[in-house]
Amino acid sequence: MKKKRLIYTLLYNKGYFMLSRNFRLQKVGDFKWLKKHYNFEKIASSIDELIILDVTREGRDINEFSSVVKDVIKNVFIPVACGGGIRTLDDAKLLLKSGADKIVVNTTLHTNKELINSLVKNYGSQFVVGSIDFQIENDVKNVYINNGQLKINQNLQDFLSEVEKLSIGEIYLNSIQKDGTGQGYDIKHLEDTLAKITTPIILAGGAGNYLHLIEGLKINSVDAVATANLFNFLGDALPKSRIKIINEKVDLAVFSSIDNLKV
Amino acid sequence: MKITIVDYGMGNIYSLQSALKFLGYDSICSNNSEDIINADKIILPGVGSFKMAMDNIIKLKIDKSIKIAVNEKKTPILGICLGMQLLGISSTEDGFSNGLNLFEGEVNKFIDQSVKIPHVGFNNVDYPDNSTLYKGIKKNSDFYFVHSYRMKTNKTNGVGHSSNGENFVASFEQGNIFGTQFHPEKSQTNGLLLLKNFITF
Repeated sequence: MKKKRLIYTLLYNKGYFMLSRNFRLQKVGDFKWLKKHYNFEKIASSIDELIILDVTREGRDINEFSSVVKDVIKNVFIPVACGGGIRTLDDAKLLLKSGADKIVVNTTLHTNKELINSLVKNYGSQFVVGSIDFQIENDVKNVYINNGQLKINQNLQDFLSEVEKLSIGEIYLNSIQKDGTGQGYDIKHLEDTLAKITTPIILAGGAGNYLHLIEGLKINSVDAVATANLFNFLGDALPKSRIKIINEKVDLAVFSSIDNLKV
Repeated sequence: MKITIVDYGMGNIYSLQSALKFLGYDSICSNNSEDIINADKIILPGVGSFKMAMDNIIKLKIDKSIKIAVNEKKTPILGICLGMQLLGISSTEDGFSNGLNLFEGEVNKFIDQSVKIPHVGFNNVDYPDNSTLYKGIKKNSDFYFVHSYRMKTNKTNGVGHSSNGENFVASFEQGNIFGTQFHPEKSQTNGLLLLKNFITF
């Protein structure tokens, strides 16, 4: 049987890894800091997947970003999805060559459906993860693009139906209001919406501890939960969370440490 | 040892090469006939559409080199994901295309409408006894899958299965011909172990 997934999202901004709260960014540390506190070679056996997003607001450099991706995932043998500022087929190809198994698109879902179609045609549905950011205003779930800065004229439900027609592989759904708050996912507002979606769903925004991860994973229509909270899962907090989640009878894959592999 | 990863323009070759390097093996990516025919081990990777992949392979004329290596020189080959499917007879993705016809399996879309497609994530594999690929790997271990089409076969010998609404071919091994629908290079320690089993076969 297919297992649910625990995903770690890294936010990258011009040389630094960031913490995001309601999409406001705060510098946490550079690559050295990440290496010190998050040795992905060691802790990869605690996560099912890694997502790396370039959230740089101005002057994104896809070449620089792809070399960062290469560095982070060297000797990390788990699925990796990358995104942020992908505007052409060549951008996607560069990330693929740098080790990304999938690419994450957000603004492009709205502004350039042609590109999404050609990504799907060239690399298959499974290659494209659609990231959708939403915010609730006057009981309406509004969709935002451009790093959560620009509201589009479609609500979440309508946008999701439209996005599903693009035959992409997965949908990464993030609540701007819950993002980085550590208060838990916005399950209250999403449960009904999620049940109607036939594309695999990654739930993001708000996880502050392992209980939140469990809460998300226990929803039938949720295939994976993601957290981008660099502080709440420092050191061995991530491995410990995974054990606690499995103890709560959530169906996650069981991995053995890479140290068990004698080369 | 010469390990040739067949490069026909599709697939995450960086991860595959990093995994092999981690295991202590150098590999080359090539679509040159000589590199395929003279290889000690061939890996056929791939993501994307079956039709496009076969078109590329035929355009590059490497279908013949692969068959010479596999059928005449008995070079071990491992097809991964789409690469595994390409070793089969045919696929109905984007119409109909013939595969390399090295394994008796046919590829079609998942039929169960109640499961989510693509089948993405870790899933356990029920693999055969006395397997080469799974030597030293615990029964029912989890491997990473990401695909919308799946292979079925009448063969039972050497075939591993997974389930996503229906049973499908997760792996096969038949003499020197191996395939995994999942990505060993993305399947943590067990995946690396499997790759090592293939390379040392």
